[in-house]
Amino acid sequence: MTADQLESPPEDDQIIKGRRLRSPRTFGAVLISTAVLVVAGGLLSDVVAVRTGHRARPWRADLAHQLATRHLDDPWVRLGAGVAVLLGLWCCLLALTPGLRRWLPLSRPGSAIDRAGVAALLAHRAEEYPGVASVKVRVGQGSTKVTLQGTADPAGLERGLRAELARIPLALPNRLDVRARSAGRRQR
Amino acid sequence: MSRSTVNRSILAVAGLLLLGGGLLVLAGSFDLYRRLHLGIPSWLPLGSPHEPLVSTASRTRWDDRGWWWPVVIAVLSLAVAAALWWLAAQLRRSGPGTVTLPTPPGAGPVLRLRGRALEDAIETETIALPEVTRIRVRLLGNRRRLLLRAAVRMQSSGTPADLLDDFHSGPLTHARTSLSLPELPCELRLQVAGRSSVRTPKPPRVL
Repeated sequence: MTADQLESPPEDDQIIKGRRLRSPRTFGAVLISTAVLVVAGGLLSDVVAVRTGHRARPWRADLAHQLATRHLDDPWVRLGAGVAVLLGLWCCLLALTPGLRRWLPLSRPGSAIDRAGVAALLAHRAEEYPGVASVKVRVGQGSTKVTLQGTADPAGLERGLRAELARIPLALPNRLDVRARSAGRRQR
Repeated sequence: MSRSTVNRSILAVAGLLLLGGGLLVLAGSFDLYRRLHLGIPSWLPLGSPHEPLVSTASRTRWDDRGWWWPVVIAVLSLAVAAALWWLAAQLRRSGPGTVTLPTPPGAGPVLRLRGRALEDAIETETIALPEVTRIRVRLLGNRRRLLLRAAVRMQSSGTPADLLDDFHSGPLTHARTSLSLPELPCELRLQVAGRSSVRTPKPPRVL
């Protein structure tokens, strides 16, 4: 490898080893860029128009008037500030959290498996088990819940499904929990 | 700096600005400084609920200075240019269009392979693997350092570990050796076809 190669890592999001995938957050950044473009572009065109001797357009005159006359205890000002706080919190949350919760990392670097895919694998295995009428599998980031309907022994099924889960080379630990739902009760 | 880092920084800066501005207005609006007996620093605007959002003092503070309007116009132009540039960068198709093929030293022409052809070759070989029902490969990265992203769908009767091994020792290794690269990083996203839950069909209701 040459020094040139060392200096230029791939521009796109790099492969992350053994950790959760991180979303590039393209959509949020595009939204913010568009908002900045619209606001700054509008203001710029109007400021330039005023500087070159034209009149300010009605929307800017109205906005300046509203900003100068509405006081801080105005309900609309409070509402706007509340919305700004919530949006700001949400943006910070998006910036800090990894995202891509749909994918569970696999032990081979860069590869990941769909959570619904893990559920399908477990359900496929459980279906073959004797005495299982129906089974509902919910796979989370760190734990998996299986709800069983039928006459099968939950402990036995749990052992079988643990083995099946262990065959999937997940990078992070995932707990498995099997619960039986009695046949007489109706499923939610 | 990767695109993800820049996007997340943009989100964080925008979020902090919105959060700070909103909290400042709310604090002034509910008169928190007086109720909590906090001394307001003199430079902090929006201190009391009876102030307007933009007071005459803050509106005309720099109005008469010669540099004020040129600076406003320059900052706004910069913001517009940066937003346009970043939007264009997001919409551009990422990944190199072609890949240089290895040729024996001293040979004349440079051989290039279209990126789409490389994707196609890997897809064709992967779909022949057992239990694979769908595959889509995309070439990312740049010409010096390629990066592949593969989305694979397999049947629920298959084994993910075997599929990963087959994919890495088969299509991926073949692509790497034919391009004579020391390594060819690949992100693999594995999906499993089939029902997420097994349900017996509902018995017909007898009235």
